[in-house]
Amino acid sequence: MAYVATRGGARAIEQSQRLFRAEMGTITPERVAEVRRALPYLVDRVMGEASLYDADLAALALAQTGGELHEAVLLLRAWRTTQPRLTVADPVLQQDLFTHRRISAAFKDIPGGQILGPTLDYSHRILMTEVLSGAAQTPDPVDAAAISAPAQHPSVAAWQAENGLLSAAEPDTRCGNDIPDITREPLLFPAQRAHRLQSLARADTGGVLALGYAAQRGYGQAHPTVNELRLAEAEVIVQHPRGTRFSAGRVKVSQAEVVAKTGSDLRLGFAATLGWNEVKVIAAATLDLNAKGAPKGSATEEEFFLYHTEGVEASGFCIHFKLPHYVTFQSSLDAMRDAKARDQAKNQARAAETAQATREAEPTP
Amino acid sequence: MTAAPLASEFDTRTNATYEALMWALSRPGLIRTLPLAGLAQIIDTLIDRECAVYCEDAALTAQAMQTGAVLAPPEQADHLFLTALEHADFLTRLPQGSDLHPEAGATLVCTARLGRGPRLRLTGPGCEGAVEVRIDGLPDGIWQTRAQVLRYPLGFELFLVDANRVLGLPRSTKVEVL
Amino acid sequence: MSLKSLTRDWQPMSFGFLDASAKREIRRTSLKAIAVPGCQIPYASREVPMARGWGTGGLQVSCTLITPRTRIKVIDQGADDSVNAASIRRFLARVSGAPTTMDTLEADLIQSRHRIPEEVLQDHQVLVLQVPNPEPLRPVEPNMSLARQMHADADYGRMWLQLYEQIVRSGRVMQGASYPSLVNGRYVMTPSPIPRWDVPKLHMARHLTLLSAGREKRLFAVPPFTRVEPLVFEDVPYRVEDHAGLSCARSGARGFFMNEIPQADGSSSYEISDSELGVKSIRQRDNETVTIGDTWYKNGEMAG
Repeated sequence: MAYVATRGGARAIEQSQRLFRAEMGTITPERVAEVRRALPYLVDRVMGEASLYDADLAALALAQTGGELHEAVLLLRAWRTTQPRLTVADPVLQQDLFTHRRISAAFKDIPGGQILGPTLDYSHRILMTEVLSGAAQTPDPVDAAAISAPAQHPSVAAWQAENGLLSAAEPDTRCGNDIPDITREPLLFPAQRAHRLQSLARADTGGVLALGYAAQRGYGQAHPTVNELRLAEAEVIVQHPRGTRFSAGRVKVSQAEVVAKTGSDLRLGFAATLGWNEVKVIAAATLDLNAKGAPKGSATEEEFFLYHTEGVEASGFCIHFKLPHYVTFQSSLDAMRDAKARDQAKNQARAAETAQATREAEPTP
Repeated sequence: MTAAPLASEFDTRTNATYEALMWALSRPGLIRTLPLAGLAQIIDTLIDRECAVYCEDAALTAQAMQTGAVLAPPEQADHLFLTALEHADFLTRLPQGSDLHPEAGATLVCTARLGRGPRLRLTGPGCEGAVEVRIDGLPDGIWQTRAQVLRYPLGFELFLVDANRVLGLPRSTKVEVL
Repeated sequence: MSLKSLTRDWQPMSFGFLDASAKREIRRTSLKAIAVPGCQIPYASREVPMARGWGTGGLQVSCTLITPRTRIKVIDQGADDSVNAASIRRFLARVSGAPTTMDTLEADLIQSRHRIPEEVLQDHQVLVLQVPNPEPLRPVEPNMSLARQMHADADYGRMWLQLYEQIVRSGRVMQGASYPSLVNGRYVMTPSPIPRWDVPKLHMARHLTLLSAGREKRLFAVPPFTRVEPLVFEDVPYRVEDHAGLSCARSGARGFFMNEIPQADGSSSYEISDSELGVKSIRQRDNETVTIGDTWYKNGEMAG
């Protein structure tokens, strides 16, 4: 039975996975803990794109995939699918965030003050090669400020709205179960604002950066000014079935407000995500800012950027081209060959006609 | 490889209920068997917090609420459960969806008597030629009203339940009273 | 009420992988898809443990339908043992304990990428087709919202124009697979990238076909006994691939859709694309007892 001999698919896929995993060796709880401790920004990025806040699981996903980011996010999203929804937390208000870093490019100083917080922005990007020669680098201790900054701050946009500079978005008062949820409902266009912001929060960092950057370079109508960039921790308040409200813990969040002048008003673009990821929220807020009135099919149109920054979908589709496509290819070949044959037949008929005409036109000797 | 997860009683029952509903709608007029009698299992099978439900019966209402669905008047409900359909006019109140979203049309599940009463001829997708059925226990003029209000591809779906038997009538089915 | 009443005992995985909510959504969506044949119904499309574009839409439908007794068959490009088919089959069995088969006649549920088996599907069978791009209008309108409006208006003028231009330019319709087809006289649908050979198998079929695009989050259906008509001009008939006269180099069978295998000498050899029919044909040739079901094509011609 000739066909049976070719049946190696199940075995082949098993062995190919072993080959991939062999390179990474044994995955231990210690390795996962080390990933979590050593790579907090990577863990944050993966948690944000997965829309699942659990640093241990994110570190496990990174360890399990050897740092293949799209695979790690997919693992977490697939795990998230299996989890029951117990409750919906209270809305997190900007002014309640426990703020670590808060800067504004729009004003020299802002109510509550600029708080530089943890950043590499002003570091010199010099590789610490001495570590490779055995000199461990231990960070210098932080000197605490004489007067600590307040933990909570109003948003800059709130001040602008108070001063009549900003037309703020209609507040969406829906709460609890009524909040639209992109993981349980299809994304339709024009997208509900909640769906747009949720999609951006889950978007691929690289994808959002590429399209946000395109908008910033001039493929968008509005040039952003960073009104406020904030890294913070948010208290997650949930209600116990008996009625008590309690904090289930804190999650790291990033948010960006960007503004642009439109006529006599400022227009606001906003984005937030789980984990600390500054580039993502600035780029995403730029896209949000530019979406209104963007031409159909442009990079700043909502449908365009939401579809194309969905990292799990984009990466999955991209790698699916590795799958066999020989049936579709065969189908196209068939149409192509037939068209070619027709073309040739037509050309031959034309050549014969011309030859005939030439013969007729020639004077007989 | 870990052992396959076991299907709970709930999994088994709701899967079987859905299979009956799916085939009932795929082959209009062919009666399918539900695992249990009554409408409650259909709520278990289809209804969730994303749904807007209309029920008249108190027990069904309580059950629908427990799924997290919101209760809505007929005009805004996507799923309606009636132990008795009293007036043909009720059909005029059902959402039929929109040109962009025909799927927003409602699903009405109601009790009826299958296999007796007026003879009907069904044609359309899912019908091998024409299918004849008898349906009783529905208000007079219901088929005329249905024909008048449906604007395919807009419309609503009907599931008629008689104890543990179900018959489906998608909007695509033409119903003639013989 | 207690926390316990809101949740269930912890299990590493739900039966059929998807949780009850996800299944309910797929059920509601499938019912509407059946009610409005060929109309693309949006759904949330949960993430499943496979990459998007690798059959996640089909997988969600299969996971919703599956029971421990559902006999499942999975094929890719017509083959049961293609690597991705093997992976999906293994996943479906793993999350449900369902038995698997390669025999089209034995299957209750067939999940397929790019082919419909050659043996005629029957009343109780469900065919789940994986769909990469659910929108037949995309070549003429890439924007989903605008395309949706065109479907709402049954505005298929640009689609027809595209076909017309191909005929003018090349003397024939150049569409290979995914041939756009009118369903129940109302919606133009892509039958998924099945070859033109397979499209007539959907027309007035006995089985139910569910088409699901996980990445694009659209589900549509062709119920049994529903008209599926490829878009053609009256004077330029629909043409399936020119495979009627080809014979399978392994089994000797003729008159089915073939895979072309390029040979070192510059020629081509062919083998049956429906791998299980290939196996059956070889067994039959070797005088084994084997049941080959009724086939849609007889001697390379679609039976009327």
